[in-house]
Amino acid sequence: MSVVSCFKIVPDDTLIRPVGGKLETNVQVKISTYDKNAIEEAVRIKEKTGWKAIGITVGNTDRKSVREALSMGLDEVISVSSPYLDVPGTAMAVAEAIKGLSPKIVLTAETTTDSSTSAFPPYLSQVLGYTLVSFARSIAVQGDKVKVERSVGDIEVIEAPLPAVISVTGEINTPRTPSVRQIMESSKKPVKQVEFSQVPLTELVEVKPFVVNRKRVIIEKPMEEAVEQLLSYLKGEGIL
Amino acid sequence: MRVLVMSEDPEFFRSASAMAQKLGGELLGIHPSESKYVDVLYVPDLHDGWEVPLADFASTLTPDVVVTGGTRRDKTFAFSLAGKLRSSVASDVTELSLGDSFLLAKRVVYSGMGIATLKLKLPAVVTVQKNVMEPDIRKGEVKKVQLPESNVKVLSRTPAQQSVSLDKAKIIVSVGRGMGSKENVKYAEDLAKVLNGAVGGSRPVTAEMGWLPEDRQIGLSGNKVRPQLYIALGISGQPQHIAGIRDSRVIVAVNKDKNAPITENADYTVVGDAIEFCKVMVRRLSK
Repeated sequence: MSVVSCFKIVPDDTLIRPVGGKLETNVQVKISTYDKNAIEEAVRIKEKTGWKAIGITVGNTDRKSVREALSMGLDEVISVSSPYLDVPGTAMAVAEAIKGLSPKIVLTAETTTDSSTSAFPPYLSQVLGYTLVSFARSIAVQGDKVKVERSVGDIEVIEAPLPAVISVTGEINTPRTPSVRQIMESSKKPVKQVEFSQVPLTELVEVKPFVVNRKRVIIEKPMEEAVEQLLSYLKGEGIL
Repeated sequence: MRVLVMSEDPEFFRSASAMAQKLGGELLGIHPSESKYVDVLYVPDLHDGWEVPLADFASTLTPDVVVTGGTRRDKTFAFSLAGKLRSSVASDVTELSLGDSFLLAKRVVYSGMGIATLKLKLPAVVTVQKNVMEPDIRKGEVKKVQLPESNVKVLSRTPAQQSVSLDKAKIIVSVGRGMGSKENVKYAEDLAKVLNGAVGGSRPVTAEMGWLPEDRQIGLSGNKVRPQLYIALGISGQPQHIAGIRDSRVIVAVNKDKNAPITENADYTVVGDAIEFCKVMVRRLSK
């Protein structure tokens, strides 16, 4: 029995800047923010059920990030290197990589910080033919079923049969910070390297910086005066 | 060309219909209540766990292009349908046009830092952002639809607290960690009251610390807002937060640290204590 956690290694969004009319995305990479919640949840499920927790990453296979995922408690990682893949291609790559593993649960984040589509989890569920549960903020495994609280405007408590693809929101947990020892031990854990390629259905024509020119006026004076000045600016904007 | 529009939300249905009408072709719609923006409207009985069963039904309509709204359920439906059709996808699209056997879409990427132009092979499934375009009235022939049972069983549902809609608020007062404590949120609420605005919050204060309900969260994972005035109180300005406020007309930040990332993304930054700011603003505006 196993639980799989998908994670994506992306450019650190706090470092991306517009440079000379282009977007500089060739910056340090990291595990996409909410993907860490998916990894954490896989490790918690492993701790409760005794299942094996396997990570899968597709695209960028930065070794440091893969080791970070392992040090958080995954037992092994399948690292799929590929040229540019869109959502359908990524879903196919994951389906191919987990063939034969028959995981009970495949966890993903609700969205990534690079493309932020929220399309991958539903797409993958249909490719795998698994039950879909999206936007989970708590998961309890109960035999062949899961009980999940999902946040979709309303809060729903649902029961769904396994196997399932479950996407998690950032609220579900606080990802752990691995200890030095866990980081050391992670280097001994297996990483399976595979390759995948598929012609994408989507062509990325261009990415332009999205620049909203803000005035960036700094008001630094005693609060009474600062508020007075701000109010006059806001009147000038026609807001108050 | 067969274009299908769907949203559970009436305003999103209008936005999606307006964008879909521009593409041309036969326009089909799926919406729980009657609407006259499409040629044929399928009115499903949306029972519990409807998203995937509805995608099953929609796949039988064999659409070339699917345009849906952007609620979490809309997206769950849209991309399940995309998976069934093995179609191309794009999410939160702001502009859409049809080329020779492809769909051209613009959308925001990298937590709001970039705008991507995508060329999608048909069939294509996209979700759109809310917009102000008004769709034309169409024939709107209504057909009732009975959906298959879902394998997801809903045990209970707690409706979202829709006290003030962040969506429609002209002024939003938003709190972050820098407010110091849950008790201090009341100063922001006082300010919102005199401004006739709504109160929102960053991810840490809504999701982690519980100062505000989760449906007040503004950012990548929560609400994307576009008020006339956005006041960020004690919010440092992580990209996930900025992603949700970029469409605001004027952004005011109040922060003790004038080097916080929020100042880069604000029109006016008052350097100082957020609570003191609220008190002075309330006193000044109540005059």
